[in-house]
Amino acid sequence: MEAFRLLELLILLAVLAGLVGLLLRCNLFLKVLAMDVMGSAVVALFVLLAARSGLRSPILGRTPDGAIQAVGASAWADPIPQAVILTAIVIGLSIQALLLVVISRLSLRDPCLDLASFDVRETR
Amino acid sequence: MIAALSPETILTAWLLLPFLAAFLAALLPALARWLALGCVLATAAIAAAIGLQAMPATLLLLGPDGVALAPDALAVPFLLLNALVCGAVLLDGWQRPTAGPFLLLLMVLQGGLNSAFVSVDLISLYVCLEVVGVSAFLLVLSSRSDRCLWVGLRYLLIGNTVMTLYLIGAAVIYLQQGSFRFEAVALTSGGGALALLLVGLFTKSGLFLSGLWLPRTHAESPAEVSALLSGVVVAGGLCPLVRLIDGMPSLSAVMVPIGLASAALGILFALVETDAKRLLAWSTLSQVGFVVLVPAAAGLYALAHGLAKAALFLVARRFPSRQLLGWTSRPLPAAVAWPLWIASLSIVGAPPLLGYLAKQQLDEAIAGPTALVTTVLMVGTAAVYARLWGTSISVALAKDPAGSGAASEQAPLEASWSAGVVLLLAALLLLTVLLPIAGWGGTASWVGATASMAELASSILKAAAKTALVLLAALVVHRTLEPLRRLGQLRLPDLERFQDLVGSVGIVGASLMVALQP
Repeated sequence: MEAFRLLELLILLAVLAGLVGLLLRCNLFLKVLAMDVMGSAVVALFVLLAARSGLRSPILGRTPDGAIQAVGASAWADPIPQAVILTAIVIGLSIQALLLVVISRLSLRDPCLDLASFDVRETR
Repeated sequence: MIAALSPETILTAWLLLPFLAAFLAALLPALARWLALGCVLATAAIAAAIGLQAMPATLLLLGPDGVALAPDALAVPFLLLNALVCGAVLLDGWQRPTAGPFLLLLMVLQGGLNSAFVSVDLISLYVCLEVVGVSAFLLVLSSRSDRCLWVGLRYLLIGNTVMTLYLIGAAVIYLQQGSFRFEAVALTSGGGALALLLVGLFTKSGLFLSGLWLPRTHAESPAEVSALLSGVVVAGGLCPLVRLIDGMPSLSAVMVPIGLASAALGILFALVETDAKRLLAWSTLSQVGFVVLVPAAAGLYALAHGLAKAALFLVARRFPSRQLLGWTSRPLPAAVAWPLWIASLSIVGAPPLLGYLAKQQLDEAIAGPTALVTTVLMVGTAAVYARLWGTSISVALAKDPAGSGAASEQAPLEASWSAGVVLLLAALLLLTVLLPIAGWGGTASWVGATASMAELASSILKAAAKTALVLLAALVVHRTLEPLRRLGQLRLPDLERFQDLVGSVGIVGASLMVALQP
């Protein structure tokens, strides 16, 4: 259980690092990367959550005499957080892709992608 | 044939319909408008069926750990709002050629919102809100200007960041309770997980400091996208938020101050704003604050505000100028001025409109100092909209038949009424009568008064007198502020830089964690 707490703490630190990066970095690309750091940390959190009860994925297999049953170790990982985070990974990936497309369009305006050249108060 | 289908099958098919229709529209672009219209009608029909209790109140897909849905009375006004606003945007653009995948995105957005309104587990809600966020982002981008690229990027970046925090909250809830259901959220002891969930939903619904992304996003988008964003996309965060507050009465100690603060913040910035669309967007931020005050009045309030605000944004396209300085000196065409007055009077809460019903329900549910502050804030709301009144109706287009070629081409568009705006205004008027007759929600008490006509007449007179007083006070405020605004003496700090947005999400999250500590 001690290891679980330690890993949980490290993951939350990674989330915090991502948030600080998002806040302080001036480059748009680095901001998106910082957001990805947060996303990856959350994936790690769910994987850790699933591994509390065991490490093996509960996948059915075939025993030597032909019957279908769960094979291998007896301590199974919790499948629900794993299923959930699979969805979140897909969503995170697609959002990342969309953001990078927009950034590549924005780089036509300022190749340095400096936040200050986009984030201006409108002078209407 | 229909009778043979079980209600569960119909509900599932209805949730899938917009997504299937969007795929079909990609293959057969000629049918896109009709498919979108079909989705809108299906949503309206399902909302009516749920309102008449013809549908099961809960629905479980894929077993006990699967997707939990609750198409109950709380979702009805939100579903109705979704159908009406999407329908109005569709009708508004019926004559115009649509830009790119606009209709396809409209259908996906509608499907995502439908699911967000009825889902009652944290993970389904997460998926729905991300679908809504991505389709809203692509809609913002539909104008393809550089400005919109940046505004859209900002929207998606902030939205995805808070949803990441939301997922951490969901993970902690699962760790404690072994379930992702909303009921499990109500049972948790620690405040940290709840604070993370709430900061996600607050940001999605544009509430208080975490909603500071909202004004620029809603103001810079094209008119029909602004109408969708302000009318119904914010409701995607509001509906689950109201569900959570409804299940946890202890939360209202936090929600009432935040709701009032959000209303005050929005009104303050709207009062000194110099741009008409930004004024409307700040007003959305303030109205969202009123919605979360009391769960009992939330649905109707969100419906009334969403319909009126969508109508306002749809006519904002035809404003001669967005500049508020010298607003009264520029006459508006009748097809702009009338919707502007009717919709803003509904938001202010004038009697024959839906906004009046919503304000009355809110007034009944609150008491003491909260009621007093709410009244003051309603005067502020009226003072904000007083800035948009006072223009004359232009007849210039009619008396200049032999104008230049460009002018006569522009005239029909400027002067004609948009079918979408008419639909929204009709809904604002008719629902005021229909909802109490159907005995829906908390409006039944209002019908009870019809037993004696005298009582009804006196209650209407009282409401009219109160509205008149609020309007009078608002005009005084407006007249006092107007000279100061003209001199440019009223300035507020710019809180909408990217750092401010991330920082305010952090501040709201941290203060929620402190406030929710048991």
